[in-house]
Amino acid sequence: MSDVILSVKNLVTEFSTDEGRVRAVDDVSFDIKAGETLGIVGESGCGKSVTALSIMRLLPQPIGQIMGGEILLQGENLVDMSIEQMQRVRGARIGMVFQEPMTALNPVHTIGRQLTEVILLHKKISKEKALKEGIAMLDKVGIPAPDIRMTEYPHQLSGGMRQRVVIAMALACQPSLLIADEPTTALDVTIQAQILELIKELQKEMGMSVLLITHDLGVIAETSASVVVMYAGKVAERGSVYEIFDSPTHPYTRGLLESIPRLDTEPKSKLTIIPGMVPGLLDMPKGCRFENRCRYRKDSCLLAPPAAETISEGHEVACYEWRELKTSVGGGGDSANFKLSAVA
Amino acid sequence: MSVIPLQNKKVEPLLSVRDLKMHFPVKEGIFMRTGKFNKAVDGVSFDIAPGETLGLVGESGCGKSTLGRCIARLYQPTAGEISFEGQDIAKLGRKPLMPFRRDIQMIFQDPMESLNSRHTVGQILEEPFQVHNIGNRESRQKRVKELLDLVGLPARSVTRYPFEFSGGQRQRIGIARSIALNPKLIICDEPVSALDVSIQSQILNLLIDLQKEFNLSYLFIAHDLAVVKHISDRIAIMYLGKIVESGVGESIYRTARHPYTQSLISAIPVPDPHHVAHRQILVGDVPSPINPPSGCNFHTRCPQAMEVCKQVVPHLSDEAQPVSCLLYDASKP
Repeated sequence: MSDVILSVKNLVTEFSTDEGRVRAVDDVSFDIKAGETLGIVGESGCGKSVTALSIMRLLPQPIGQIMGGEILLQGENLVDMSIEQMQRVRGARIGMVFQEPMTALNPVHTIGRQLTEVILLHKKISKEKALKEGIAMLDKVGIPAPDIRMTEYPHQLSGGMRQRVVIAMALACQPSLLIADEPTTALDVTIQAQILELIKELQKEMGMSVLLITHDLGVIAETSASVVVMYAGKVAERGSVYEIFDSPTHPYTRGLLESIPRLDTEPKSKLTIIPGMVPGLLDMPKGCRFENRCRYRKDSCLLAPPAAETISEGHEVACYEWRELKTSVGGGGDSANFKLSAVA
Repeated sequence: MSVIPLQNKKVEPLLSVRDLKMHFPVKEGIFMRTGKFNKAVDGVSFDIAPGETLGLVGESGCGKSTLGRCIARLYQPTAGEISFEGQDIAKLGRKPLMPFRRDIQMIFQDPMESLNSRHTVGQILEEPFQVHNIGNRESRQKRVKELLDLVGLPARSVTRYPFEFSGGQRQRIGIARSIALNPKLIICDEPVSALDVSIQSQILNLLIDLQKEFNLSYLFIAHDLAVVKHISDRIAIMYLGKIVESGVGESIYRTARHPYTQSLISAIPVPDPHHVAHRQILVGDVPSPINPPSGCNFHTRCPQAMEVCKQVVPHLSDEAQPVSCLLYDASKP
């Protein structure tokens, strides 16, 4: 398959802590096709950010380690690469955008210095040319008066503008993959709309693939073609965005979709909840990791973790009971056919 | 001055806020002189009925949290009236304010920061009774157990410390503390924003249950419109210290009139891949409340701004769904 940019196969990432080794990412696999957006959705601690850090080989050292699996970027295995080889991948072939733009930028350097640094590192061009490219890049991400902004410091910009700068830095060398880890979570909803639109436009223009990590199902529905739902370090379900939202199969995916308040739910009605909470990484249940919160639990679920099974081409679920669930209740996403008349 | 009307006009409001202003002095220069003011809340009026939830929505820096803190009298407002059951508490001093502190409570966004990490849950929940000198040790401890039960925490939590709990459980402790003294009004300042999706719905259900059981009124402050709409009877939209539109939740969503409300609603990502977004993407950022734009303070980002908007300040209209926009003001040219 030549059109697959990134292929993650059976990735296992562990951290050594004082209380023992914990497996933050356990047997995670997915592919991202050229020009496609793949969304990873899950709650805090589900391993979605650790997956991204594993791909970038930016796990906190020495406690974080990839224990198994392959990360193939256009066929090359990133897991086997040396530090020097990885440095040529980061920024040039994979760009990354983090949640909090203020911590991603260096507060004591100008925007211009930080932006040209990336360009000079990966391209053999003069400083003047890099400066020009930097200004062009800022212009591309919609920053007004880019030549003046180049001389300013991060604190002089608003949150939305800072995130634009981070995106400009991530895309300065035209990477084939952009990893965006909660890129809009720290931003207001009107600014979030601007940034998501910007990423979409740039993706179309530059033809890159995007790995979008978020906890917001709305953002996923709007941006992603395929979706990976993660729970407690494992993939619960994956499929196209339509499969996930129209026929969610894993009890966790269903629970998530049913529990979010929507614009068309009856005010003050009882929301469906997922009872309890995510088990700690140190005391994971032996069987299915969702077992203690699952309303369809059977005794067999407690024995061994379920393997991913294929429902249809590209739609996989890790649940013993999926056949039963498939035929029982309809998906949670069906009630969402609500149109906003106010803005039509 | 127009006031956002109550749904049921016959009911006496529990809280009525009139023309409330909170201007923070901005110190400048080497002499730290007060040259300018940060007009965080700039003339806000509304009523809340007993048992009702008013949702307050806006982006960061719009003054929604400041407004909540003024009503809880964590701040001394610069001007205006805060009538609680008919008495103006805006200017009351520490002592005369004490009985009202029992009636108006607050739930904060980050329960880790709002709970004392060196106190056990038992101590945290007993403190309100000690401050107000209510009951003896025995009756207090009995009440603490009741409170834990009400918010769905096990009784053995009493001897535990906040760090031993998850985010959602900590927020339950915060909620237990806020209802300890049987308040009438609770200011909920982003109570679910820091929580995961599956925990968010648990907390929202709890807040709704408690409201029904104790006839609580909520001022529910949040930036997530879907959450606010779910829990609120009425919603007010704030922009740069002012309420720009208000009405019943359903009608705000279906027939938003203010261009800011429309953009805000259109910006929410809908969790449905079939949904076609008709986005009105706002340009630029929220201006500084220290130096707000002239005229209508939204005109710098408004997709429908007219020439007149730069000069004339709009006021909330006198309608069932009041809006503060010159597009709907017949008296203006």
